[in-house]
Amino acid sequence: MTVPTTPAPARMRTVTATVNGVTRSAETEPRALLSDFLRHDLGLTGTHVGCEQGVCGACTVLVDDVPVRSCLLLAVQADGRRIETVEALAQDGELSGFQRAMRDEHGLQCGFCTPGILMSVTAAEREGLTAEQTTTEVLGGHVCRCTGYQGIRAAIEHHWQEAGR
Amino acid sequence: MTIATRNGDTLVGKRMPRLHDDRMLRGHGRYVDDIDETGVLHAAIIRSPAAHGTITRFDASAARESGEAVLVLGPDEIGRLTDPLPTTWRIPGQHLAAVELAIRTVRYVGQPLGVVVARNRAVAEDLAELVEIDIDPLPAVVGIEAALAPDAPLLYPEHGGNVAGGIHFGPPVEELDALFAGAAHVVEREFAVQRINPSPMEPRGVLAEWIPSTEQLTVWASTQVPHLVRQEVAVGLRLRVDQVRVVTPDVGGAFGGKTTLYADEAMTCLAAKVLGRRVKWIEDRTENLTASYQGRGQQARCRLGLDADGRFTALHVHIHGDVGAFLSTAGSGPFQVAALTIEGPYRFGAAGATVTAVFTNAVPTGAYRGYGMQESAWIRERIIDEAARELGRDANELRLLNTIQPEQMPYTTGTMLTYDSGDYPAVLRRAVEMGETRRRPSTDRIRRGIAVTGNVEITGFAPSALLEMFQIHWSGYETGTIRVNEDGTVTVFSGVTPMGQGIETALAQIVADELGVPLEMISVQLGDTATAPYSNFSSQASRSLPLAGAALITAGATMRERMLGLAARALGVGVEEVKLDGTVFRAGTTGAEVTWRDVAHRGWMGWGRGETDKILLEETVSFDPPGITYAYSAHGAAVAVDLDTGKVTVEDYWTVNDSGVLVNPLIADGQIIGAIAQGLGTALLEEAAFDPETGQPLATSYLDYVLPLSEDVPDIVIEHHVTPSPIITGGFKGVGESGIQPPAATVGNAIANAVPEIAAGLTATPLSPSRIWTLLEQAGLEG
Amino acid sequence: MKPPAFDYQEPRTLDEIVELLARTDQDATVLAGGQSLVPLLNLRLARPDVVVDINRVPGLDGVEVADDAVVLGAMARLATLERDPVLADALPIVPEAIRLVAHPQIRNRTTLGGSLCHADPAAELPAVAVALDARLHLRARDGGRTEEAAGFFQSVFTTSRRPEELLTAVEFPRHQGFRFCFEEVSRRHGDFPFVGLCFGVRLEDGVVTAARLAGAGIAERPLRLPAAEAALVGHRLSGDLAEVLDAASAEVDPPSDIHGTASFRRGLLRAVIRRAAARLDQGGSR
Repeated sequence: MTVPTTPAPARMRTVTATVNGVTRSAETEPRALLSDFLRHDLGLTGTHVGCEQGVCGACTVLVDDVPVRSCLLLAVQADGRRIETVEALAQDGELSGFQRAMRDEHGLQCGFCTPGILMSVTAAEREGLTAEQTTTEVLGGHVCRCTGYQGIRAAIEHHWQEAGR
Repeated sequence: MTIATRNGDTLVGKRMPRLHDDRMLRGHGRYVDDIDETGVLHAAIIRSPAAHGTITRFDASAARESGEAVLVLGPDEIGRLTDPLPTTWRIPGQHLAAVELAIRTVRYVGQPLGVVVARNRAVAEDLAELVEIDIDPLPAVVGIEAALAPDAPLLYPEHGGNVAGGIHFGPPVEELDALFAGAAHVVEREFAVQRINPSPMEPRGVLAEWIPSTEQLTVWASTQVPHLVRQEVAVGLRLRVDQVRVVTPDVGGAFGGKTTLYADEAMTCLAAKVLGRRVKWIEDRTENLTASYQGRGQQARCRLGLDADGRFTALHVHIHGDVGAFLSTAGSGPFQVAALTIEGPYRFGAAGATVTAVFTNAVPTGAYRGYGMQESAWIRERIIDEAARELGRDANELRLLNTIQPEQMPYTTGTMLTYDSGDYPAVLRRAVEMGETRRRPSTDRIRRGIAVTGNVEITGFAPSALLEMFQIHWSGYETGTIRVNEDGTVTVFSGVTPMGQGIETALAQIVADELGVPLEMISVQLGDTATAPYSNFSSQASRSLPLAGAALITAGATMRERMLGLAARALGVGVEEVKLDGTVFRAGTTGAEVTWRDVAHRGWMGWGRGETDKILLEETVSFDPPGITYAYSAHGAAVAVDLDTGKVTVEDYWTVNDSGVLVNPLIADGQIIGAIAQGLGTALLEEAAFDPETGQPLATSYLDYVLPLSEDVPDIVIEHHVTPSPIITGGFKGVGESGIQPPAATVGNAIANAVPEIAAGLTATPLSPSRIWTLLEQAGLEG
Repeated sequence: MKPPAFDYQEPRTLDEIVELLARTDQDATVLAGGQSLVPLLNLRLARPDVVVDINRVPGLDGVEVADDAVVLGAMARLATLERDPVLADALPIVPEAIRLVAHPQIRNRTTLGGSLCHADPAAELPAVAVALDARLHLRARDGGRTEEAAGFFQSVFTTSRRPEELLTAVEFPRHQGFRFCFEEVSRRHGDFPFVGLCFGVRLEDGVVTAARLAGAGIAERPLRLPAAEAALVGHRLSGDLAEVLDAASAEVDPPSDIHGTASFRRGLLRAVIRRAAARLDQGGSR
């Protein structure tokens, strides 16, 4: 069977954004979601897609420092913005303090929801929220099917303690 | 087991973080949708919009003529190019032995009918919308009662009824009836368990690549069972199994939902084969909630007979299992296991269980973590609780009066399960004791209650002779291979697969202990049918750790002896003089040394071996368990019931668990806690509901299918008892499903303890605010 | 699923927005926070020809406080309003209700206008708007108009906003002398409630002289409860409210769905009225 050639999609747009400190540019259809743009156009597959309904939180990234669902943003909306994903959290090859706490407290099992939680909690830490606010309000915006959340809460509490907050 | 020690420490038993977490935390997990997309085409599945009907027209011409479609396959093409998929476990009376791929009569909303392939997913979905399907509607059969009604429409008219099959375990019902007639007290209740979606955070997905020149198909699949998928793909696509390689990348949770090849996955593989290209299909959440096989879904009538002292004289349960539109791979299996495990940790004068499997116009049911044992715990522990209430007895005292004693082990139940070991009363007593400090007072409108339940579970399933007896086509044994490479590194292969449960780390701990080398030297490689030993059962049924672990202990002990022998010859001393210290072999008399790495190199060169010794520095052992090993536990819950709203809050939860020898308590605890969280979801929140008239699924997004959030799961307290399994090398028992079985029963009984006025009505889950409030209203307790 | 194809427009001024919305040759949808629209696009339940993204238009997210009213820009993000000290002082019921909406990650994008225009009958903010008799400012190319909240919300996901109109601002009267609170029963924090209630009273010597009650989740749109309001007048919040509860039960006809039956919702309405009354009796928000 021959593979028919398909016409190029109409009305492609160029999106340019600073992603993890690097200016990245790619062509995209207006309907493309930011989550798909990051994963499939920029190859940043650490951001996961769990529902595309805004509920599970696996796709959470930081846009201009603010945690948002990347499945509920169009890629074109990210034009000119600053985006951080899970790939940027380790500095100079070292896991961040909260990443280490997640490992030590067994805060992940299958690891699929983990990147979104890392981004939300990292933002909470930068914003100066308390451990209590982070384990309730911030973690409340994420679904984890594996851990029962206990290890994640322990990781937040221990990391906040260690950081003297 | 041998416990090799380095500085007195063993890795088995060590609470340590998992080896691959570093990678996952950096966002370097590699799930099926993360694999390089160069040249990949994308599939969308055409699904049935109706619950029941006959397809009179399937017209894909608009899609085909759009110029955008790379391929469209409908029932005609699929029928020409495929065979139905075989099933592994059937029930007596089952008339369908295979899962059809070419669909002419639709039997559930979301049933895959065809596949569209395009340059990206969005375009494939655009094209799927252009496919016109006419369906002559037939009345939908929704739910077990409707299916069994005398005038019910039939899913398979040629089969003559909606009963898909049936089986009875234990003494005949007439015998049990006589015991009930003579009992001092009989309690009878009708119980129900809702349909549950396993709902792993990563939905299903496959990437298939057919290389026309070599005629080889590679399938990267988010699955628990790569060998079973290979077997099914080969049958479905009419290939030899050696033309198919299945690779599981990282798997984002599975919970039983990824234990077979699904029709939509088979269609994706077919598309790749037809096109000679790489084709990917990733399930979206709506598909996952509506078209992935579901778990549970049953109604059961249970009778418990007691004598005047409160001893259990008889137990019978008749389970009606909702198998959905057809029997999936092991479709009736969970209902059969529910029947087999109905007795739990208790003695009964006699006990039996009957299963009737029922077709309905809903997505098929199949495996979900707990696999029937959540249902049996719910039925058993609730009816014991009801008996205690009716008799005015303390429920825990009644449990302990009837619990199997340690000196009765091994103990054979009425359904002919032989429990191997354990102290069942000890965990129950301890859980009761733990509850004493966890009682909190009620207030005017908040009632509080507490309950403890007992449970026994099948783990390490199963001896191949048993599976042969029941003609269940699963490989019950498990194989482990240890290869010492030419650079001294150690590669471990096994037929089990990782899906987030941490099996890679646990197996590495076992092998490092057996060989006596540092953990860093071990790499556990799983999930690739090109390298993994055959296992079509793989990672399910709480079997990975006990069975793969047992095989690797034996393989490791042999490999250690071989390495010592090679080292002795290299050092020119007797083998009894050689000690391994870290990565160096040392001769006790001469003090001469040779490194592990050099010995490995010499081994692969074929040097220094005896004339009949084998060269290949690899040991493979298959472990076929001589019996089932049973884990057991007691669970406790403290709940608060809001009389104004019907909301139940689990304020405290604890368990005393015996899963035999624990390899990594951090991982074991994680498995127990995570499973309890899922059990709380079943108890209070989750339900895959259907419109009773149309059969349309009602929970199609995470807004309507409600999973537990952090606030729904309290910090869980775990105590371990360790009774090494007497029949599994290493003393292991399974732990992956331990936590999920008792929570619904425990929470239900705690609610009954808090609000005894509604206890008799606590027969169906989820115990949602609406359901509890309605019971409160009937009891005149609502605001 | 992925969204259906659409054209994307990114106007920079209010005039450009209304110009785009005025075009009759295409079905346009306004993209504000996107937290309701994008899920609908992802499910292909929304299928616009063109998405008009108004996120880069300045001046639509203001907070203006006057003596008798607070005017909030429709593009104000819930996360911003939640933390605005001026708003917290002037109209604390709004941030109180906002904190019950979804989760922080969602509120970082959700806008006030989007939440109202989506018109989920169980949502909190439409009930607040109805309880306070908010006035919704709508702009079209050919002029503007103001709609009372009670008339704006018509049915499930349906408002009186015409396709060519943009909701630009919401004016909340301050109802001097009233105190408000929001009570709800939801399955999990952040879920749409089974039943929610915006409850406001004016008290003189501990006796209710006027009341404003609006419920969420009890009808196909947020609903004032005039009979319950009338029954409250003359009562003390700490007193016997049976008459009020019965009046509320009698004047609603809630829906039954997979989350709960009608009588369950009626029961919850009684519960939230009792709780709201008890809270305001103890203080509560202005």
